[in-house]
Amino acid sequence: MSALAPTLARLYRTAALAPAIAGCVMLAAAARPLAAGEGAGPRRIVSLDLCTDQLLIELGDATRIAAVTRLARDSRLSAIPGKAAALSTTRGEAEDVLAYDPDLVLAGPFGVSPTVELLRRLGRNVVVVPLAQDLAGVRRAVRAVASAIGAEQRGEAMIAEFDRRLARIAAVGPRPTAIVYQIGGIASGPGSLADAALNAAGFSNLYDAYRPTRSGRVLLESLIAWPPDLLVLTGYGGEDRTSVADSLRHPALAALRIWRPVLELPGRFWLCGTPHIADAIERLAGVRESVQEAMQARTRR
Amino acid sequence: MTMGGSRHFAPWQLLAVLGAAAVAAFLISLATGPAGLGINAAGEARLLIFREIRLPRAILGALIGGALGLSGAVLQGYLRNPLAEASLLGISSGAALGAVLAIQLGLSQLFALALPIGGLIGALAAMFAVIALAGLRAGAIAMLLAGLAVSSIATALISLVLNLAHNPFASVEMVFWLMGSLADRSLPQVWLAAPLMLAGMAILLLVGRALDALTLGEDAALSLGIDLAHTRWAVIVGTALSVGAATAVTGVIGFIGLIIPHALRPLTGHRPSLLLPASLLAGAGMLLLADAALRLMQPWVELRIGVLTALLGAPFFIWLVLRTRRELL
Repeated sequence: MSALAPTLARLYRTAALAPAIAGCVMLAAAARPLAAGEGAGPRRIVSLDLCTDQLLIELGDATRIAAVTRLARDSRLSAIPGKAAALSTTRGEAEDVLAYDPDLVLAGPFGVSPTVELLRRLGRNVVVVPLAQDLAGVRRAVRAVASAIGAEQRGEAMIAEFDRRLARIAAVGPRPTAIVYQIGGIASGPGSLADAALNAAGFSNLYDAYRPTRSGRVLLESLIAWPPDLLVLTGYGGEDRTSVADSLRHPALAALRIWRPVLELPGRFWLCGTPHIADAIERLAGVRESVQEAMQARTRR
Repeated sequence: MTMGGSRHFAPWQLLAVLGAAAVAAFLISLATGPAGLGINAAGEARLLIFREIRLPRAILGALIGGALGLSGAVLQGYLRNPLAEASLLGISSGAALGAVLAIQLGLSQLFALALPIGGLIGALAAMFAVIALAGLRAGAIAMLLAGLAVSSIATALISLVLNLAHNPFASVEMVFWLMGSLADRSLPQVWLAAPLMLAGMAILLLVGRALDALTLGEDAALSLGIDLAHTRWAVIVGTALSVGAATAVTGVIGFIGLIIPHALRPLTGHRPSLLLPASLLAGAGMLLLADAALRLMQPWVELRIGVLTALLGAPFFIWLVLRTRRELL
């Protein structure tokens, strides 16, 4: 459960719902100044967060990674499940973490703060990596992890590659409207990574027009009454066995998909503020032209 | 037994008024939503909104409100327990557990009816557990405690099942199952649950005559030709069918079955055969109106329907407990 709590917070972070769900657990977590791993750098690194998992795996040497969360292997949630498959996993409780005798613990800001406090009290070096809510935040998160594990150069190279990919995306023509409609009827609003991705790909987010609740819930009815130019659906694969996934199976949504272009971008694209968000932006930009054509066809009618 | 001093209505008048109110509530529910009456939407979209989104919500609201009101009246009458109600006796939580199991074991993917049937079996299991713990003759408080125990166990098991399934949405799922929701339900879900619910409600309505006789005591009921075993089974199966199937598609919605029969008793007199259909109609009307109010509040206040009914019902419940305690002392 404790390993899942941060994930849940993260799933809904895109809709700014996280505080409502994970509640006070998260309030206590605050970013601390980073302890830069100097010299040879830490050698037994444990990561307690799906997102730091992925940054650690791609920035660090596998030999220095003691454990990551099992979420990193989960193809529904992780952008790089294959790369995580060979690594040890931790359940995330302090005792389990200490068994690896880590010289660096990476954590995210959600759900693990009691563990973080405990590990700090026991004298462990814990770095809490702030969450990325926009593209600048992605760069900050990369630099935070890179400097903590002493891989600054790799970090800068990763950011440079990320910026190259973003620079190739040129928005031309009118900005189509779009909404990222997630499992549970939650949409992604301003201040979320998905919103940043929509903007970077040349779309404007219709979120506010749907008068969502504070937790980001948009009634299906609003979506049908004022359909966006592009409907982005975000499930998590394998979610068939949940009642919250009913929102993505609704017959009315199926009908809407006939009228409007739809792009399915599973949650693993949005969950983490890593440079893999560029995958989402590229996919969005890739459909922009056909969305614009569909808009023109509708106005001609 | 007095027949209720303040009764001014003939039975048919009361039922006609409540029926008209339920129909009005149904129409209000159909007319309520962020898109208004559909003025802003194009023809095709308007049809879609009414047929696929508002109609299933209104039908489910009417059926489930009716089932909860009716089952509450039946349980209170049969158990002669003013605190009896599906959610308080753990029947709703049991149904939710059954539905969660049907989903997580993949049965509902094999055949869709497994979902309401799971709810039905869960409701049955919960009822047998409560009867086993407290006995049918238990006092109001003992039965309430048994219901609390069963409800706690069922809730814990739902949590366990959702977590064992490594479902990242476990917490959101819990909220759905424990606090209920009529939001964005669909017509296929109506077709799934409605037949079982209607069957259960028909069985419960037929219990009315037996409950009338039982108000005179069991011996009198026997002499009037009431088959007590038959009545017991009708109560159990009817409740399991109606509440079980309802909970399987909307989660637990509490307290309606508690409030409605108590509110109506001054009007019906203590005559179950009239209280039962009246509770059905009033329960439907109340849930429809509560759900419409919820949607009107929507952008500003986000409440789950089960939270709203609990907010309305819990103070009433506390008052009932205090009254029951006074009577016991």
